Amino acid sequence: MKVICDRAALLSAINAVARAVPSRSPRPQLQCIKIAAVKPAKGGGELVVSGTDLEVAIRLSISQVEVNQPGEVLIPSDKLRQIVSAESNEPTLTLEVAGDHVTIRGADATFKLNTYPVADFPPLASYAETVAQTSAAPRTRTNFGIGAGVLRTLADRTLFATAKEQSRYAINGVLMKRDGKKLTMVATDGKRLALCNGGLGAGSSKDDKAVSAIIPTKALQMLRDLVGDVEEPVHVVLTDSQLICAFGGDISGKEPARATLTSNLVEGTFPPYEDVIPKEQDRRVTFDRDVLRSAVSRASLLTTEESRAVRMKFSNTGKQLHLSSRAAEMGEADIRCDIAKFEGDDIEIGFNPNYIVDALKVIPETEVIIELKAANKPGLVKAGADFVYVVMPLNLT
Amino acid sequence: MRDGAPQIDQEVATGSRRAVEVAAPVGGGPKPARIAVLSPLVASQIAAGEVVERPASVVKELIENSVDAGAMRIEIELEQGGIELIRIMDDGCGIEPEDLALAYAPHATSKVKSAAELERIPTLGFRGEAVASIASVSRMSIRSRTPMQESAFELESEGDVLGKAKPAAGSRGTTVTVRNLFFNTPARRKFLRTIPTEYGRCVEAVENAAMAHPAIGFTLKHDGRVTLDVPPGQGPRDRLLAVLGKELESELLECSADEMDAGRGMTMFGLVGKPSIARGSNKAQHIFVNGRPVRDRTIMHAIAEAFRGLIEPGRYPTAAILIEMDPAMVDVNVHPQKAEVRFRDGSRVHQAVLHAVRAALAKEDLTPRAESMVERLSGLAQRPMWGGWGADAARAILPAHGQVQVASSAMPSAEAVEQDRQKFAEYFARQQPMQGRIGYASLQQAMSASEAQPAASLMQPAEPELLMPPTPAKQVLQVHKSFLVTQDEAGVLIVDQHALHERVMFEFLMQRVMKDGAGLESQRLLVPVVVDATEVQVERLATLTPLLNKLGMELSAIGPRTVAVQAMATFLIEKGVDAGEVARELLEKAESEQGWQSLKMASEEVVRDIVNMMACKAAVKAGDAMTQTELADLLALREAVDRSSNCPHGRPTTIRLTIQDLEKLFGRT
Ligand SMILES: Nc1ncnc2c1ncn2[C@@H]1O[C@H](COP(=O)(O)OP(=O)(O)OP(=O)(O)O)[C@@H](O)[C@H]1O
Ligand SMILES: [Mg+2]
Repeated sequence: MKVICDRAALLSAINAVARAVPSRSPRPQLQCIKIAAVKPAKGGGELVVSGTDLEVAIRLSISQVEVNQPGEVLIPSDKLRQIVSAESNEPTLTLEVAGDHVTIRGADATFKLNTYPVADFPPLASYAETVAQTSAAPRTRTNFGIGAGVLRTLADRTLFATAKEQSRYAINGVLMKRDGKKLTMVATDGKRLALCNGGLGAGSSKDDKAVSAIIPTKALQMLRDLVGDVEEPVHVVLTDSQLICAFGGDISGKEPARATLTSNLVEGTFPPYEDVIPKEQDRRVTFDRDVLRSAVSRASLLTTEESRAVRMKFSNTGKQLHLSSRAAEMGEADIRCDIAKFEGDDIEIGFNPNYIVDALKVIPETEVIIELKAANKPGLVKAGADFVYVVMPLNLT
Repeated sequence: MRDGAPQIDQEVATGSRRAVEVAAPVGGGPKPARIAVLSPLVASQIAAGEVVERPASVVKELIENSVDAGAMRIEIELEQGGIELIRIMDDGCGIEPEDLALAYAPHATSKVKSAAELERIPTLGFRGEAVASIASVSRMSIRSRTPMQESAFELESEGDVLGKAKPAAGSRGTTVTVRNLFFNTPARRKFLRTIPTEYGRCVEAVENAAMAHPAIGFTLKHDGRVTLDVPPGQGPRDRLLAVLGKELESELLECSADEMDAGRGMTMFGLVGKPSIARGSNKAQHIFVNGRPVRDRTIMHAIAEAFRGLIEPGRYPTAAILIEMDPAMVDVNVHPQKAEVRFRDGSRVHQAVLHAVRAALAKEDLTPRAESMVERLSGLAQRPMWGGWGADAARAILPAHGQVQVASSAMPSAEAVEQDRQKFAEYFARQQPMQGRIGYASLQQAMSASEAQPAASLMQPAEPELLMPPTPAKQVLQVHKSFLVTQDEAGVLIVDQHALHERVMFEFLMQRVMKDGAGLESQRLLVPVVVDATEVQVERLATLTPLLNKLGMELSAIGPRTVAVQAMATFLIEKGVDAGEVARELLEKAESEQGWQSLKMASEEVVRDIVNMMACKAAVKAGDAMTQTELADLLALREAVDRSSNCPHGRPTTIRLTIQDLEKLFGRT
């Protein structure tokens, strides 16, 4: 293999792929990045950079490359990244493989790195093969296209509600459900639940049966970060055990993709989220998002680990929300906030202010609605048509 | 009564009883033995069995008589551990010559006249039994001179043979000499232990008396050597230190309950050992009530309660506690050797001691010095304070009987030293696997977690915490994600992060649950966590609801054998504690009979237990990486929280290595 490659393009690809490479692993081969140089018959050339920790894999193509001799190589990720990053004065770098080592050459520097046999790198599922339902590929359950921007919005508006800690009972993933022309993502940490809907792109197959899967939180984060151009189409295929997302290209997989992310799915069942979303809220309070966010943030200043609660008194007569918090041995806060619209009776309820603010942060709409029923029943935060957020109250003492 | 009666060896008496038992198989049918009144000597000797067990009991009884006689100085002389000779000399009121013979008579006393007086006994003696009992099993002489008399009189006895009082030379006061204890009851004599053992017991008796009566001077001589000498007129603090060992001073905390209980006719003074000198048995607890050494469960329980959470289970605080109270408030006539008393109002005494000891502990920084541990390992032999609590006196015998096994707790015998060494080794052994268990598993977890983290450092140049501007005094180093190392004025502090955090959380939570009475805030769960339960657990759940709510837990039965957790304390949720696990532990506690009883009463003890369990689960574990801010916050809390020197299980949270310790360890001194 011998290529001359644009250094900046190579570095950004390596950085993106390295997120899937484990920083520690008993197998050094897994701490490597695979680089494959291909030279299609019709001319040009392409460098495919990939990395995996066996849970998630990322593969990126670089076209700013001149392929002199096609081939493949497995290079330790850390060193490769450091070298490519350190050669900052070079517009291009030459990579040449000979035997079991690779030579990386700039104008005044030559690095000779030991490599690993390419065969040690795990085979990665390919979008095209999976969609083409070749006998080797796992069975497709659903296949659709979605705008990269929509995908990012869905991820942003749910990821924050996933469990922070690695608990045996928490779901370390986000539910992804494709139903007709709609994609829904749902995340919960057992105390709140965020749900967001988005429309699918043109060209998606018409599946009549809804299909859902749990995507690992980490994979969804990476997927989100692969989004560059919001207009770029992303093609998704779900199998029984994997999610494959191809950025760019076309739904059939014939056009090569710019980037591909493959992830194993989380096994297990997602909580019955539809049952959890309350349907009979009889108080409906409308706020200006920023007014509410500022009030709740300030009230949260006087909460502690043991007493998180901000007491919220919604008063219809005064059209005011009265927030108060108290931290033992610290002090108290008392904040008033205007209500734009109030339907229903007065109510007093306690919430973890962080849970409210988290949601307000990802809401682009300026108007938010809080729906309530009772002090020990869930609260509902809604904004626009696509976002629903359920948050469990705190029992006040 | 003593003259004329045939001298019967106790073996003969028991022998005849044995004859009754063996008669049955031989005679074909039980043949009744004839009933006869015991001779006075045998009766006395049987009674003596209760009072006089060994030389130490003689020492105890005779010293008590001297104390009752108002002595200012008491001198005790022993030969061969008291087996050969015990002599007690006092400068008390003495005995009138004509009463000398009465002193030998059973049930003859100058101290109690009526049954009513038994209700409020101001003296140590009251039965009129001690001298008679001792005399019946020894060769005894009492020489005494009252202040009125020109000269002393002496009366001797040998078993039941009583001589005549004769004039003798002697100063004011009484000298009682007891020779050849159990000379006439060989069976009893056989049960005596080695000389060092018996001597050790005698030392204990003298030390007890010396601690109980700080105003009286005591001198103890063994085989001609003075082994204890404390002057008259000492205060309780000086006296206790004189007996326990002056070198312990820095390890002892003073506690008193004077004003607090003045209205109730009770005062208390005590010295309690810091947790670092806790022992493996409760032998090092000296409790005195109205001048009597007693083993009292109420008081020992109060001490243990005050130390709860400061020492590990199975360890006992060292303590010397002097209590004075209205004699009417305490019944002393409940134990043959007067080793126990019964309080009219035990809970009041319990409260007083508990509060006084707690207050003393709360005032102190209880961080153990690593130095003491280092010395324990290296200098055991030189430092008797670790071998035995005090007793310089006892050591005098060691050179002579180096090999002999010494049972006395007061003796730093080779065995005791070895025991301490072993305990110390155990201490470390216990610490390590403990740390290992939590540590290793969670360390691995932490490692795999950091593996799972996106390699963010690849994206941006690393900004390690080391580059943070150093704050010289407060720099904290986290070692192996388990221990924190920092410094204070005295030197280096090493903190077990889990233990300290556990204690801090425990105190905060207890404060909220017990003092503020508000209970713990709780977070409702989106989907209840369902746990399996037994029918008994489900049935008991309703009764527990108020207590559980106070602790932020909302559990409800959703089936005959299923319980759902609807809400859990916020702080547990925040720390990612598994609600099902907490619920299962609570249900298991409710299932055991003992747990159920205490849960039903919602006693402070059971609340402590549960909060303890919660704090343990929520606390940072060994292997949890912490940021500089978190480290600083945790250390700041160390100073803010009571009892922060130990975790709620009693293990230390902090070890201090002073500059002096370091200098010593590096051989600079
Ligand atoms: N050292 C002494 N100085 C003055 N009197 C003494 C002394 N020892 C004994 N006595 C007198 O002898 C009596 C008998 O003593 P003894 O110890 O047998 O009985 P006690 O002290 O009255 O009761 P107890 O059996 O409970 O000790 C005492 O009541 C006391 O009057
Ligand atoms: Mg007496």
